Amino acid sequence: MTPAQTILLVATGLGALGLWLLLPRGDQWGRRLGVIPALISLGLFASRLPRLESMAAETVFWFLAGVTVISATCAITFRSPVYCAIWFAMTLLGTAGLFLFQGAQFLGVATIVVYAGAILVTFLFVLMLAQPQGHAFYDRVSWEALISASVGAVMIGILTMVIGDAFSRQEGAEGVPAKAGVVDRVAGEDGPQRPDEILSPRHMDHLGAQLFSRHLIAIEIAGTLLLAALVGAVAIAIQSKSMSRSTGGSAPWTS
Amino acid sequence: MDELTLLQNYLVVGAILFSLGLVGVLTRRNMIVMFLAVEMMLQGVSISLVAWSRFHNDWGGQILVIFTLTVAACQAAIALVLVLMLFHRSGRLDIAAWQHLREASHSAFVDQELPEAEVEEPHWPELTPAGVTPESPVEDLVHRTHV
Repeated sequence: MTPAQTILLVATGLGALGLWLLLPRGDQWGRRLGVIPALISLGLFASRLPRLESMAAETVFWFLAGVTVISATCAITFRSPVYCAIWFAMTLLGTAGLFLFQGAQFLGVATIVVYAGAILVTFLFVLMLAQPQGHAFYDRVSWEALISASVGAVMIGILTMVIGDAFSRQEGAEGVPAKAGVVDRVAGEDGPQRPDEILSPRHMDHLGAQLFSRHLIAIEIAGTLLLAALVGAVAIAIQSKSMSRSTGGSAPWTS
Repeated sequence: MDELTLLQNYLVVGAILFSLGLVGVLTRRNMIVMFLAVEMMLQGVSISLVAWSRFHNDWGGQILVIFTLTVAACQAAIALVLVLMLFHRSGRLDIAAWQHLREASHSAFVDQELPEAEVEEPHWPELTPAGVTPESPVEDLVHRTHV
């Protein structure tokens, strides 16, 4: 076992322990303690990643990635669903930042507008409708916290290892044409030069042109899907309303 | 080789987000939080797609994310209405209230019996008795119209 694999193994174990401690398990014991192993595990995973060349880019990336991952952990571990939704909004902001960092300007803004602005507010509306008193007993217990936390940590470990292996193999085989991405990038030198489209200042022009020429049918289908979902949601809501009126409110086991 | 490094970092962040969402779906019992976790898994995949899109200098990844966003919006609308309907029927957002759901010919698979909802004893204010005790018939004292 190489030292790299040992580090990943330790990180996986600590991650499982931290997640298990953080998840709501019915009692409060050691919940705050779980922050320490979770953070150490995150640091170990981060230590496995290669460094970026520019210092500023590195700082921005680690800040955004840290915000995203830490608030995602908070979103699944907090007991009150309202806090979960708010931490998820934080995750979305971090994701939007990551999108912007990769030059996906439209997606960064669309994530904030569509997800944080529309979907999340709908979540909060439903929460307010359904659970106005806040805490409920089923928010304080979770299914099989230990097994699920282990599964999640092992999955993170395996994916990190596989991605790292694949990239180190690519870097080892420098110059071999197996490097699909780099070949794609360099291929323009003998063929027609392909400009760096993603990072060009006319981002929206290119994206819109692609979207409404090559993917026109998909756009139409997406529009139809949105309409169908709208009609379906309204139909289900009306049906449930008439049903709850005819049965006199709610089911017998309602508290 | 900065592009390659950036791609690797993004893929790892996407993998972590996906796995955290998976843990959320598996553990949480509140239907709305489960749905939030599903959205988180979608975000993890979106991050990887955007990173690949930048690496290959191709719009395909970003356009796929746009369509994912559309489908996620539809899914959110339908799922939230369904969650509301389930809530109207069972009175709670607990997914465990539906573990008895089955075909009529099958026996129920009950993973875990529902713990009884804790009903807190209401705290009534205590009044200091004052004045003389009014005389009243025994029937009125024993019979209470409401508790």
